[in-house]
Amino acid sequence: MEMEEDMEKLVVVGLIEKATNSTAAEVDPRLLKAIKSVVRFSESELRYATQTLMSLMKRDHSQVRYLSLLIIDELFMRSKLFRTLLVENLDLLLSLSVGFRRNHPLPAPASVATAMRSKAIEFLEKWNESFGIQYRQLRLGYDYLKNNLRFQFPNLQANAARIQQERRTREMRTKEILLKKFEFLRANISSIKEEIQVTIDEIVECLDILVKKDEDISLALDDEEMEEFRNAELRQIRHDSLREGEKVHENSENEVVFDALREMYKVLVTKHLAAIQEWTSVLIRVEVEDNSFKNSTLKDLIDIKNLIHMTKRKCEELGCDLSKIANSEEEDMWEDGTVEISEKGKSALICSKSNDHSATTSNDVRDSRCNNNLSNGNKKKNTDNSGSELNPLRSKLFAEAPVLNWGSSMDNWGSNRDVLANQRGLDLDSHWGRVDYDAVIPSEKIAELNVHASVYKEDPVEIQPCRAPLRNGGLCQRRDLKICPFHGLIISRDDDGKPIHQSPLERETSSPQNRTEDSTPEMDNATAEQLLKQAVKNVRERERVETKMKDSDKRALKRAKLAKVREHNESVMRDAALATTWRSAHIGEGIEIGNESRSSAKAKKQTLSSMLKKKGTVKDRLSRRLLNSRAC
Amino acid sequence: MWKEIREREFGKLRPNLFTSSVSKHRLSSIQLSNSKEIISSHRASINSLQVDLTEGRYLLAGASDATVAVYDVQRASDYEGGGLIAKHKSVLLINKQHEHGHKYPVSSAIWYPIDTGLFITGSYDHHINVWDTNTTQVVMNFKMPGKVYRTAMSSLARSHMLIAAGTEDVQVRLCDIASGAFSHTLSGHRDGVMSLEWSTSSEWVLITGGCDGAIRFWDIRRAGCFRVLDQSHSQFGRRPPLLVRPSTNKKSSSAGQSSCAKVRAPHKKLNGNALKSQVKTAKQRLHPGMISSLDRATGHYGVITGLKVTDDGMYLLSAGSDSRLRLWDIESGCNTLVNFETTRLQSSKSIQMALSQDSALAFVPCMTTAKAFDMWSGQTRWTFRGHYENINCCWYNALDQELYTAGNDRQILVWSPSKLNFDEVDEWRNGQAAVTDQDNWSD
Repeated sequence: MEMEEDMEKLVVVGLIEKATNSTAAEVDPRLLKAIKSVVRFSESELRYATQTLMSLMKRDHSQVRYLSLLIIDELFMRSKLFRTLLVENLDLLLSLSVGFRRNHPLPAPASVATAMRSKAIEFLEKWNESFGIQYRQLRLGYDYLKNNLRFQFPNLQANAARIQQERRTREMRTKEILLKKFEFLRANISSIKEEIQVTIDEIVECLDILVKKDEDISLALDDEEMEEFRNAELRQIRHDSLREGEKVHENSENEVVFDALREMYKVLVTKHLAAIQEWTSVLIRVEVEDNSFKNSTLKDLIDIKNLIHMTKRKCEELGCDLSKIANSEEEDMWEDGTVEISEKGKSALICSKSNDHSATTSNDVRDSRCNNNLSNGNKKKNTDNSGSELNPLRSKLFAEAPVLNWGSSMDNWGSNRDVLANQRGLDLDSHWGRVDYDAVIPSEKIAELNVHASVYKEDPVEIQPCRAPLRNGGLCQRRDLKICPFHGLIISRDDDGKPIHQSPLERETSSPQNRTEDSTPEMDNATAEQLLKQAVKNVRERERVETKMKDSDKRALKRAKLAKVREHNESVMRDAALATTWRSAHIGEGIEIGNESRSSAKAKKQTLSSMLKKKGTVKDRLSRRLLNSRAC
Repeated sequence: MWKEIREREFGKLRPNLFTSSVSKHRLSSIQLSNSKEIISSHRASINSLQVDLTEGRYLLAGASDATVAVYDVQRASDYEGGGLIAKHKSVLLINKQHEHGHKYPVSSAIWYPIDTGLFITGSYDHHINVWDTNTTQVVMNFKMPGKVYRTAMSSLARSHMLIAAGTEDVQVRLCDIASGAFSHTLSGHRDGVMSLEWSTSSEWVLITGGCDGAIRFWDIRRAGCFRVLDQSHSQFGRRPPLLVRPSTNKKSSSAGQSSCAKVRAPHKKLNGNALKSQVKTAKQRLHPGMISSLDRATGHYGVITGLKVTDDGMYLLSAGSDSRLRLWDIESGCNTLVNFETTRLQSSKSIQMALSQDSALAFVPCMTTAKAFDMWSGQTRWTFRGHYENINCCWYNALDQELYTAGNDRQILVWSPSKLNFDEVDEWRNGQAAVTDQDNWSD
């Protein structure tokens, strides 16, 4: 019996240890399932599991603790016995998972530790939500973390509840508004209907008037020439053209009717149709007890809507593009600035449209006005033109005169009059005492005051790209004013990036023998100076390069030393970790087998101890490689 | 259970035995109460707890944020979770906003032992206030020379109304409520006094424990202290041995005989004198100031943080900053050498210990846990885990067999016996709420 128990114990303990010995962020679901199924049917297993989990929580490794915590949560949400066992030591569990005691901070992998903390807080909140009422300890822990230590709980439940509540209130409000609208509709439905009916009737009347006028002619035409077009296609064309002809065109006679129609159409489309649509949506969404009124009204509304659509179609079939006109009219209403132009345009349109010029008076007036405008503009142009023609001298002067910005100095340009000081602006009667009205500012003072100031404007300079050849075959596209930080002075280069013509200095340095031959003494002075500079520069450059080399050598040495130290540390740490972690024997063997296979062993498996190790940076790796090559 | 009741009815079992057996049984199942919750109104650590001695109903708590609150532990103010959790809100709260409230932490809050009409608070602002409970007004105010650490009133005093106050000052003062003045100034300690207790057998005897590690006994009718407990002066067992035994103490090896002989003397006071006389060869009546060698004896290494006298007045439990608990035989003045398995005790603050009714168990705050020790063997019976920070005080309510603990985490926790079997009605009611707390194996 005891043996059996021991065996069982081994099962669950082994399972848990296996599950927690991983670097994954989640517990292996199969292992978790196995643990659950084992623990489910045996109390003693559960007790062992609790003990094991608590001891694992004390492990000095956040990853182990984290995974244990996940298992604890799984079991906590399921087993009552587990809960009662666990809440006994809840303060311990919390201090191990949240790490709120200053003298017991969370252990090493910091990222895992923070994840664990947030998870633990989340779990505590969840546990408190679901079981807090049964376990005082849970309430206490939650309360302590929340009120004493001021931990921020994710507050999932409360947030969800709040959102729900908000949504509910919003719905309530919309419902209320809908109901109000519905009541309004119920009260006013008849008047609305009437109004719409009146509009539709008027439109229909208008249409009748328009259509009747044209009907006789078109019909007559139809009858006469029906036989001539036997061919179906031809007849079709004929029919189309006839229909086109049927379309009533606006002219001076029916303009009034059209205007009225347009107005009505606009009202119908913009006001009534939108209103009907709105009412329909209100009716659909509203919830009331008696559906009879709702249904009947809905039916009515749909009928009205159909009627409106029909009327609209009729209007459109009539050919006059009412919608466009409506739009333009709307523009007229709102954009004051464009009124004149559009009217002008319209008037012009009307002018061209109307065959005979004997239109209404209003048209005349418009026309004349537009003519006036035109003539005014022309006149202005003419005056300009005439001026230029008359005075060639002046035009010449114009051409060469500098263009100045307007300023107050232009007021008195070229005048040399004295200015009365107290004779402009407000006439304040001896406000500050006696005023000398004859005070005069002499002209030279005025000139002094009117010195024209102009702001310097830099001409935009196009900054040339460096265009030095790059290693990848391209050209350097950096745009610097004078010196590219990578390629030195910016000089003009050809398409391959080669400098087109060398600077005289370079030429000189490259061919000193030439220089001595063809240089004049005056030239020599200047170039000598340059040369001197160049020489100093060269020396400096060389020095710098040398120091750099030295530095890099030193750094490499240092790196090598560091790498050595690090390697030593690593081996020590590995040993220590191996001594503590599970699976230790296995890895230890792997290392001892051979140094050359070490890297492969390292790559083989990420272990818990490796999480604790510092990750090598690129620099480290490079230095290590360097070291190895040197050793070879 | 039922058998015992029948036996009591038949007269086979004496009523007091029956009560004690029931209460003992209840005490044995004490644990953190889920159904009773005291909503603490304090915003800082709670330093003192006391249930009134008359009704056993009103819990008085004093806290570091200068608040004093009274909680009704029998009638809940409201319920939560379908009557599962009874919440006890404070029925009375005095904070800094009160016109006579304390300015600094309240270190001690005690009830007037005779009724609940008065209570006394001592604070770090050097004041001791006597409050009228019903009007929550200060009826008397004593200005002390330093921070007040602890106040005490004798529960069996019939002839005086003295508040003993331990302060930063070396002198212990007795404040007389009747006259509103200091009636006594007891000097002898070399440092402040952190804990003090009145004897439960004599209304004249006061026991004080100082920061100098000395535990002194005072007879307030006489000048000076009459006994200083010495930790090296010890005896095996509860009572001093009848036979002469070579004591471990080298100093009293020769004196053991005389002390043993004197122990049987009926008068306690005489006994005390006899103890001191053992050092002096001369039989002269010793001055209460005593000779310096005896006067320098210490009960603990370090500060005496807590004192508690058993109900019968025969034993004294003391706690020190050396993390030891010592049980003293008051009559002989010896350390009984009971080894309490303490781990650590708080050393910076005074702690308030509690004893069960028949003094079988001692409840001691040990850092974040409270422990119940067997008084005579020193073994840990239970460990009460629940607080998240150090516990400062505990109080055992003998009437309901409930333990109240409070500490730095501002909570007052109730530890009560788990429900007995015959509370079937309760079980029934709880059953419905417990439905949510079931195993829930989804897979």
